[in-house]
Amino acid sequence: MNGNQHSNDRPAWINRSTQLLDDSVRDLDAVTLSRLNRARQTALAQQRPHAPRVWLLPAGLASACAMLLAVVVWQPHHRSETQPSAAPVAVDDGDSEETSTEFYQNLEFYAWLDAQNKGGDG
Amino acid sequence: MAEIAGTMTGSQLEFARRVDATSTNQRALDQFLRGVERRALRMAELACGSRDDALDVVQDAMCAFVKNYAAKPEPDWAPLFHRVLDSRLNDFHRRRTVRNRWLAVFERKEDDDTLDPIEQAQDLQDPGPLLRLAGSEAGKALDAALKALPLRQRQAFLLRMWEGFDVATTARVMQCSEGSVKTHLSRALAALRRALEDHQ
Repeated sequence: MNGNQHSNDRPAWINRSTQLLDDSVRDLDAVTLSRLNRARQTALAQQRPHAPRVWLLPAGLASACAMLLAVVVWQPHHRSETQPSAAPVAVDDGDSEETSTEFYQNLEFYAWLDAQNKGGDG
Repeated sequence: MAEIAGTMTGSQLEFARRVDATSTNQRALDQFLRGVERRALRMAELACGSRDDALDVVQDAMCAFVKNYAAKPEPDWAPLFHRVLDSRLNDFHRRRTVRNRWLAVFERKEDDDTLDPIEQAQDLQDPGPLLRLAGSEAGKALDAALKALPLRQRQAFLLRMWEGFDVATTARVMQCSEGSVKTHLSRALAALRRALEDHQ
């Protein structure tokens, strides 16, 4: 199935055309032939089988173990760092400001109370 | 050899078998591609107009062919390879058409349908234009005439007349009906004949 099958029942100029086409591909320059060879090798390289990657399973397991270990080690440490910050937040609520304002407004009463206590003690 | 096989694990044996089968297939593929690459390059060069672009298209076609059709039976390889190549040439032609669309405003090509059917009729008694040209002059005339053909007509001519595919195979390669192949070929022959006559 190529151009060399020139049929006798077709016009002579067509046979001559195909002959000229055959001639044109016969005399390709070295650079073109080299590039064709490289193209062919590139195409064929796609088909070569890759060696079975037996190391992938142990490597994956080791990575998973390392990540698990890192999470286990890091998690308690992280928790101990965050816990102390919870106490001031609990104490420092909106009531403290209200309480101190109330204290200053009733300062005279507390002074009298203090004086009464001292008088009682003495 | 049996000792070596005895020391191999199952997966290694399977791999060795695959390597052996693949290397046999690769030799056949290599031989096949060697056989078609020059003509494929010529076809691509006529369609692309430059050898660099043609080499890129041929490499692309080879890669796609090996990737998708290497496992097919060997007798099917030639039509399948040319189908891939034809598809790549169509893609290239489409991209170039879009890129150069603005040029079409200035140089509009003659529509295929305007050909006179009477002009297309061949006179089998006439030896034809190329026989009156000699050597490189004839080659250049043919090259120019083929480059001037629309892509589908040129493909029909090259696949039918040069590659020697029958109408049905050419239709499968070009992914069109057999009637379309006949139409494209008839127009290609008429245009080539006219162009080569004009060249004289």
